[in-house]
Amino acid sequence: MSRFLFVVPPLTGHVNPTASVGGELLARGHEVAWVGHPGTLARLLPDGARIFPAIDDLLEADIRAKRERWLALRGMAVLKFFWEEFLIPLGHAMVPGVDTAVRAFQPDVVVADQQALAGPLVARNSGLPWVTSASTSAELVNPLRTMPKVDAWVRDLLHDFAGGDIRFSDRLVLVYSSKALVREEFGDEVAFVGPALAHRVERVGFPWEWLAGGAGPLGGVARERCVLVSLGTLNGPAGERFLGQALEAVTDLPVGVVMVAEPRPAPPNVLMLPSVPQLALMPHLDAVVTHGGHNTVCEALAHGLPLVVAPIRDDQPTVAAQVVAAGAGVRLTYSRARAADIRSALESVLDEPEYAAAADNVRASFLAAGGAAAAADRLEKVVAG
Amino acid sequence: MDEVLQQVAKLITEVVGPDFLLGVEITRDTTFSDDLGLESIEFVALADKLNAHYGVDLVAFLADMDIDEIMAMSVGRLVDHITARV
Repeated sequence: MSRFLFVVPPLTGHVNPTASVGGELLARGHEVAWVGHPGTLARLLPDGARIFPAIDDLLEADIRAKRERWLALRGMAVLKFFWEEFLIPLGHAMVPGVDTAVRAFQPDVVVADQQALAGPLVARNSGLPWVTSASTSAELVNPLRTMPKVDAWVRDLLHDFAGGDIRFSDRLVLVYSSKALVREEFGDEVAFVGPALAHRVERVGFPWEWLAGGAGPLGGVARERCVLVSLGTLNGPAGERFLGQALEAVTDLPVGVVMVAEPRPAPPNVLMLPSVPQLALMPHLDAVVTHGGHNTVCEALAHGLPLVVAPIRDDQPTVAAQVVAAGAGVRLTYSRARAADIRSALESVLDEPEYAAAADNVRASFLAAGGAAAAADRLEKVVAG
Repeated sequence: MDEVLQQVAKLITEVVGPDFLLGVEITRDTTFSDDLGLESIEFVALADKLNAHYGVDLVAFLADMDIDEIMAMSVGRLVDHITARV
């Protein structure tokens, strides 16, 4: 049996795939630990998961405050802030905690999320093999390739931090997607394992009777179709605008709508909740409206659900483009889409069977990719050498 | 030169939609990042329009810039680039 240490930032979308892969390794009898922000990790990991601290509550609150400022930025300023004010400082801040975890846990392999730069740095300094957990496939296709000077600037930051481009391990890069979405060729170290959804724990409740129409004001009639509207955990003022337009879009639409948002006045067919057990909800849905977070998109596609994607920033435009290229959804302009645009996009993906058929093709490719079990197989091979 | 500015402003308005430019007059000093908040897909659409109208390659124009230059990239700078090329 072997020991695996996951190094993760305090971001739900980045912890989730490691919760699944780590759960699979635990089920196979390996020893597994995580290092990051204990408060964030405890919510998302299996009960009794071994957690080492590298980010205290003060730093985590500071990161959240920074992200609020970051949400107000537009264009290239987003990227600059992301690297200079977030990723590199977070990397430095996590080094002591990751170092302590490595000494205490003595892992055979360090599995570093792509946004936990301390992982590769500490692993290398400790002479340990490290691999990459790429919670989005966007970095692989390098969205900065048309801007070589900006690309070089990112590489320089990484070289200053760790002496190399530590976004990609040369041993193994776990990508939670498939070739149905990422249509480029990569080396053998890049493993497309599909979304890792097994062993995930969701601790948020949900009024399941609502889906049957029992509790809702739709008059006790079972909702034949249901959609989820979620902009992820970050949205800011532009998110408020989009949610307002989305509410208007679904008024009088004969579908049940679960909207992830703070409570506000809503038409009777809308259930508004601040958080939902998203994965458990998927089998009950017919489509998903999202900002294009990699996890949400792949969870939806893993259930064969077509998408309306309104990408906000970061990797989301790349993910949205993948969805459109696969034929599994419609893309909207996040900061400008109006109620009529959202409604029309939603009606398209619900009523035109090509979208669901394309989403089902992606679902099949995910199933073939193997998910958490395939990721665990590859990790075991790294230990075997 | 004013003619190019007017045409570029018109193309930007087509891409973004006139509703979203209410109260925003596009001048030489208007920046693509901060003032217009051009999204990546809008940027691609604008590049297509510029290419069709002037034969100017916006992607190649930006490829030579560093991150601060791209952040500060203004309508005026694009207009000058087009004027020099056409």
